[in-house]
Amino acid sequence: MALINIATHEIHCKIVYYGIGYCGKTTNLQHVYKSINPHARGDMLSIATETERTLFFDFLPLDLGTVYGFRTRFHLYTVPGQILYERTRLAVLNGADGIVFVVDSQREKFEENIQSLVELEMNMRRIGKDLGSFPFVLQWNKRDLPSAAPVPVLDHYMNRRRVPTFEAVASQGRGVFATLRAISKTVMAQL
Amino acid sequence: MEQLTNLVISDRELGTISAVLTKLMNDTNATSTMLLDKSGQVVVVHGSGIKRNATTLGALLAGVFSSSREVAKLLNEKDFRNIFQQGVQENIYTSMVEEQWLLVIIFDKLTHIGLVKVLSKKASDELGRILERVRNDTTRAKSSVLNLQFRSSVEDTIDLLFRD
Repeated sequence: MALINIATHEIHCKIVYYGIGYCGKTTNLQHVYKSINPHARGDMLSIATETERTLFFDFLPLDLGTVYGFRTRFHLYTVPGQILYERTRLAVLNGADGIVFVVDSQREKFEENIQSLVELEMNMRRIGKDLGSFPFVLQWNKRDLPSAAPVPVLDHYMNRRRVPTFEAVASQGRGVFATLRAISKTVMAQL
Repeated sequence: MEQLTNLVISDRELGTISAVLTKLMNDTNATSTMLLDKSGQVVVVHGSGIKRNATTLGALLAGVFSSSREVAKLLNEKDFRNIFQQGVQENIYTSMVEEQWLLVIIFDKLTHIGLVKVLSKKASDELGRILERVRNDTTRAKSSVLNLQFRSSVEDTIDLLFRD
């Protein structure tokens, strides 16, 4: 839920990156952190296991500065991707204003992606939201890998809502900002 | 229950929230108090010590609370309404306000937890009444902020800032 504070002239929105383990959610945030103007970001926080898998969430606050008199902030979160952490994903989703679903394009991950998407829909229902009318974009990540499934195939099976999609290689920064721009604008448009 | 898309807090209500938090801080002799949205966004913070880290603290404390609700469900509890984190020097007491906000009190060993519990319950009740008014005012107040100029300006800023 976006928070609009008229007294302090601030708007806060929460964007959550969702998807299976190792699909590149944290990599998306790391690229944003590395590449964005340092004045526009706070510290990136990661609650990870010893092997650097996300345990709870990653958090990156972004500050757009003052827009038409209002200081506008986006808080980016990732969920832990491993199947084990379903309840944690639900906890992080709470209060989200927009969702980026990061798809691992590799053929062998196809079924896992679909399961994660189904789980997301169910979790949204649990928090009283309908994904169909919610700010939501898809990112086809890892497009550089030889086993990446063709985009039309991914689109056919995973994008029945016809939401905006973006090809990406998050490890090289490709498509990361295009995705972020799209979800940010969709979130603002639905405020 | 369908959640609101957003919550608009007016000058007047923010002043009332601030007064409740200041009173709570003074009466308990706490070092800091915060009001968070359950999504982790900071509504108000009082106490100089934590202001610099307020954004991160907000995200973490809301995460802890949200996570504890899932634990509660696994135990067939509706939720845990309060969380107490005890340190050597500092303690944190977090309580839920009407399923929407989190009231956070940070205090040291000079303050007794019993006092914090009682007075935070009282403050939560007051904040609950304010929240009700904020919810009712949101639609009207929103249209005064999110006008066409703002929307077009924010799109330009997003294009300018979020690029390779």
